[in-house]
Amino acid sequence: MTDRAAVRGMTLADSWRSFRTAIRLGWAIEANWSDPLLFAIYTMAKPLAAAGILVVMFHVITQGQNPDFLQFLIVGSALWNIVFGVMAGLVQSILEDRERYRMIKYVVVTPTSLFPFLLGRSLARVIVALVAVVLTLAVGVIFLGVELRPDLLYLIPATLVGVLAVIGLGIFMAGWCLQLRQEAWHYPEAIAGALYLISGAIFPIDVLPSWLHPIAYAFPTTWWLEATRRGLLGHGSPGAIGTVSDGMVMLFLVISTAVVIPLALAAFAWFIKRARQAGLLDMVTGS
Amino acid sequence: MTRFGAVATNARDAAEWSTGRVVRTNLRAIFGRAYPRIIGLTREPSWVFFEIVLPFLAVSAFVFVYRALEAPEEYIGFVVLGGAVTAFWLNVVWMMAAQFYWEKDQGNLELYFTAPMHLMSILAGMAIGGLVLTSSRALAVIGIGSLVYGVTYDVQEPFALAGVFLLTMIPLYGMGMLFASLFLLWGREAYHLAELLQEPIYFLGGVNFPLQAISAVAGVVIATLPLAVGLDAMRQLAFSSSPVEGVLPVQTEAIILAAMGVLFLVGARLALRYLEELARREGRLTLRWQ
Repeated sequence: MTDRAAVRGMTLADSWRSFRTAIRLGWAIEANWSDPLLFAIYTMAKPLAAAGILVVMFHVITQGQNPDFLQFLIVGSALWNIVFGVMAGLVQSILEDRERYRMIKYVVVTPTSLFPFLLGRSLARVIVALVAVVLTLAVGVIFLGVELRPDLLYLIPATLVGVLAVIGLGIFMAGWCLQLRQEAWHYPEAIAGALYLISGAIFPIDVLPSWLHPIAYAFPTTWWLEATRRGLLGHGSPGAIGTVSDGMVMLFLVISTAVVIPLALAAFAWFIKRARQAGLLDMVTGS
Repeated sequence: MTRFGAVATNARDAAEWSTGRVVRTNLRAIFGRAYPRIIGLTREPSWVFFEIVLPFLAVSAFVFVYRALEAPEEYIGFVVLGGAVTAFWLNVVWMMAAQFYWEKDQGNLELYFTAPMHLMSILAGMAIGGLVLTSSRALAVIGIGSLVYGVTYDVQEPFALAGVFLLTMIPLYGMGMLFASLFLLWGREAYHLAELLQEPIYFLGGVNFPLQAISAVAGVVIATLPLAVGLDAMRQLAFSSSPVEGVLPVQTEAIILAAMGVLFLVGARLALRYLEELARREGRLTLRWQ
């Protein structure tokens, strides 16, 4: 099969059109043509309840003491919506379009690339995740006394680089899941769950067994959470990572992201090539 | 027409069978629907892995939060027990409540409506199979969680604990049976509803903290949510020496669970009858992706 990039007439404008169309499609599927009010309730209830569990756990044990830890919990819980949104968005787009709607093969045979389509198709979940982040932080600020002291010069680059890293991890997962059966929809949850444990999202990394520390520090998600906490709260997390300077945190974030992105893109390209060769693009593994 | 001259309104009426044959057919339907779930215990290794690992990862995250907060050790046990019960809740939401919706998508639902057995038999088979399947996962979560995090239990009334567990499962799966019909009626919202029944229910059900901690809403929760009542009672029995008190005495919670069991099973029966009538009258319940 001809490489998509070699198709004559394939331009950035074509990719942009494909991306925009995929966004509309993704949103329609994600919102499932539901009542906007109901959809808003679904979107808000889940992240707020997830943060609520942590808040109650915190209050049961500390009786409201140690507000710094509460801020740490709220910000980590809010930001994790992005990781899960990106990973689940990319993987479920691939699996739904292959297994349920059975149209990924038609996207692949068009002159456009699968890549912009996939990004656009998954964007709806990312937008929902961003809403969840804002909402959780707002509840934290209004009702729980979370004090945000945003440092935009630090926060914006940290967010951009961090989100790129998360997209990289999601792209890797999407390519990987294309090789698997439809049960692969479990994978983003499992991987995000594992990263949730080792990235210091809701507890300091120091609490983990020491053999997990090097793995935790190798992942960009750890540095992204730390950098974003500093950009939002004005101070670092409790524990050893909080003693690292702001500059070093940003440096580790950039380095780990610079490693993840090319690896993820190369892996995705290889996964797509393998999927074409093995006939996995129109595989239906049971519905 | 039936042998009594009445017009048959469904496949069961049309099949003029003896009572014995009706009972045998329904028992076969229960077994047939439970079979894939029971045999699936080992048939799909990736499911075994994920159904144990996912709840364990969630349990671990909350255990580490409590460790970071230097919480008393019994809270670690509360989280492990909560994680095990979560496995049942996930089974009820995804493999009971949302099941008829998936069955419609797969084209099985119309077969259920046209076969001469009772739909309650299908739901009972789903519940029994799911209960067996999930019990193995829940035991694994409790076993691994207890070993890894060194949880110690203080069970002074093991039979009461087993009884409360069974009493919890009846309304829990009864609720799943009721939701199976309701999810189907609500159509496309099934996926969102299933999502909505996770974190918010974990929060309201006190899966990761003692229910007493949300005492303002605990009364309402106790009155409506079998997961919360059962978990609160099981925690009282599994950690007898814990200073953390339950919302109500175990005996009272057992009575509430029994009442909920009856209520949800009757509710499921009524909802199914309505659904069956609607399916035949409007015909749209067998349309895919609606």
